[in-house]
Amino acid sequence: MEQSSLTFRYKELERAWDGEKVYEVFIGPQHPASGHMRFIVRLDGDIIVNVEPDIGYVHRTMEKLAETKEYIKSIPLFERATIIDSNNITLGYVRALEKLLGIEVPPRARYLRTLLSEINRIASHLYGLGLAGIFINHSTMFMWGFGDREIWLQLAEELTGARLTHTYSIPGGVRSDLPQDFKDRALKAIRYMERRLKDYMKIFFNNPVTVARYKDIGILKKEDAKRLGIVGPNLRASGVRYDARLVEDYGAYREIDFEVPVREEGDALSRLLLRIDEIKISMDIIRQVLEKIPDGPILAEKYLRLIPPKLRKTMEETGRVKFPGLFASLRPPPGEATARVEMGHGEVFYHIISDGSPKPYRVRIVTPSFRNLLLLRYLPVGHRFMDFPAIYGSVDYFPPEADR
Amino acid sequence: MMVLEIIEYIIRLILSPPIFAPIIYPGLVTVLVILLSIIWVERKIAAKVQLRYGPLYVSKPIGGALQMLADATRFFFQEIIVPRDADSIAFLIAPAASLVLPLLPIVFVPAAPSFVAISVEYSLPLVLAISALTPIVIIVMAWAANNKFTIIGGIREAFMVIAYELSLFISALAMAIFYGTLNLEDIVSMQKSLPGVILNPLAAITFFVAMVMATSRLPFDIVEGEQEIVAGPFTEYTGILYGLVMGAGYVQLYILCLVFVELFLSGWYPYIGLLGEIYPALGGVSLFIKAYLLMVFIVFLRSVYGRYRLDQAISIGWKSLLPLSLASVFLSLGLLAAGVVI
Repeated sequence: MEQSSLTFRYKELERAWDGEKVYEVFIGPQHPASGHMRFIVRLDGDIIVNVEPDIGYVHRTMEKLAETKEYIKSIPLFERATIIDSNNITLGYVRALEKLLGIEVPPRARYLRTLLSEINRIASHLYGLGLAGIFINHSTMFMWGFGDREIWLQLAEELTGARLTHTYSIPGGVRSDLPQDFKDRALKAIRYMERRLKDYMKIFFNNPVTVARYKDIGILKKEDAKRLGIVGPNLRASGVRYDARLVEDYGAYREIDFEVPVREEGDALSRLLLRIDEIKISMDIIRQVLEKIPDGPILAEKYLRLIPPKLRKTMEETGRVKFPGLFASLRPPPGEATARVEMGHGEVFYHIISDGSPKPYRVRIVTPSFRNLLLLRYLPVGHRFMDFPAIYGSVDYFPPEADR
Repeated sequence: MMVLEIIEYIIRLILSPPIFAPIIYPGLVTVLVILLSIIWVERKIAAKVQLRYGPLYVSKPIGGALQMLADATRFFFQEIIVPRDADSIAFLIAPAASLVLPLLPIVFVPAAPSFVAISVEYSLPLVLAISALTPIVIIVMAWAANNKFTIIGGIREAFMVIAYELSLFISALAMAIFYGTLNLEDIVSMQKSLPGVILNPLAAITFFVAMVMATSRLPFDIVEGEQEIVAGPFTEYTGILYGLVMGAGYVQLYILCLVFVELFLSGWYPYIGLLGEIYPALGGVSLFIKAYLLMVFIVFLRSVYGRYRLDQAISIGWKSLLPLSLASVFLSLGLLAAGVVI
């Protein structure tokens, strides 16, 4: 098999790595930008010859914990893996569970899920872009990204009642209906964000320092991206048109007209710019969802019937779902189910094995950050030491998500 | 009567330029005021750009202006930790030296016509030479702390010095060549009608960029690469020692801003005679105002730029700044040859 350039360069430099010449630097686990994660970076002069990502500082045994809980209780648990993108990460679990239970989701609920997913995606990208700013000490991008994220958190709060831990998607539907005036506020947020994106371009993306730091740094070639199993914006920035929203039929994505942005360069700057493109697309999806959203129930008929009539009436009045008693002990038939969902960071994959008891036999989560972690091992090699934070910033790696 | 005479003597002593200049203005007291105010200004400007409040809760009615005083007090009462493997003498002395060395050139910087602590013919090269000693202290600091991050930071400092120092000196000399003197006071007095920046903008640009590099301000704050090497050479410092090294950068910024204003922005002109009659140094207050505004502009760069990579900064130093500074020398020579006389 022909070796691609990335791994070849990696091997070549690793051969040059003999104990005496190399200077070891430990980055993290307490670090202004890296978060809960350590890198052992080996330098030959100023050139990185080897990076060892040392993960697991925020491992919370989520998969094992899920085996000890009833199905429904794992939703708030998994949400903590990627707190900044909580609807997207739980949606995969809920979908796999629905497959096991054999439930159809009503159309309005599908649209609402899509709505929150896209709000989450924008917030997640803004978080990533803010960090990409502070990794080259651009504090304005950092503050702007985190500040403007607030708008989307407030929208999510209006929709779900919580800023981050929404627990919005539940088996068979969603937990609450669209509030009044939500459309106006969402459109206002979109208009604001469109204006802000132009400011971002001015101060950050067209800034000569940013371009010098991010352009042509950490180039990920198309073949390498495919072979290493990279997902999400990092993959699409290398010219591969792959998105779980396209390949899986979930939410309302089949009924919505949207384009998945792809860039060819594969360098750090294109990875960042792709996130800007995705924010634009997400805002377009939100607009379409608000236009097209059908009327109807937000919980599957099967579960609605189980709710006492009195509660069902308050449910209709308040637009908030009261859980049927059955939810406490959902018993899917024995079997397996998988589901994929596109998160802000990439594709999350769930595999649930049920043995017919109220608790799952096994839940396997493959999170996008865990798959993208490989990039931090391969991309910085051969670059200068100061490129390491830039590459880290461009990959948008989220340690709690990878560690689970 | 003896007591009155003694008091009068003391007042005269304090007001005599050799004492007043280094101790009060433009010396120590002024530097302290600048340290306390410019950091607040920097944080407030950054906050304004970044849609935040910035320092606020210490002295809320005046916008948190006393925040730096609170920080300094905290620094004073924090524990000072000397790492076990550090070279303790060098480790403890270096921060003090890093604050004193950039402050020393103040005795040669005139603050008003014939108002200077030590009047020498060669004040310009003296000021630049003394302020060029600071990087050595920082490298000593880095070495003394005996830590991987500090040593990388120290090496970065050494690389940065060779990137900016030559251009800084050459662009300053370009002005000296044009004015035909190395005395800062004479240079200022020749700019009474026309500031040097109009005559030789090349030298001004080069000096400015080299100055930003020398003081480790963004986009060249490479030595304290927080994201990869914690705080560079200052990683192991705690308490007031850290306060000192943090203040040292601002002191150097202040001195270089004074030099910039005297070289390019016609120093203490417009001279305010009315204030000058009260006390000679007060007449040159426009020098201070211009230097302060320049400092505000330089600290504002923090909210605009990220950080250049080390090799990019070095190549800016050698490939752009050095040729530009040489060109500014030729520009000065050309102006002289063309017979431009001030």
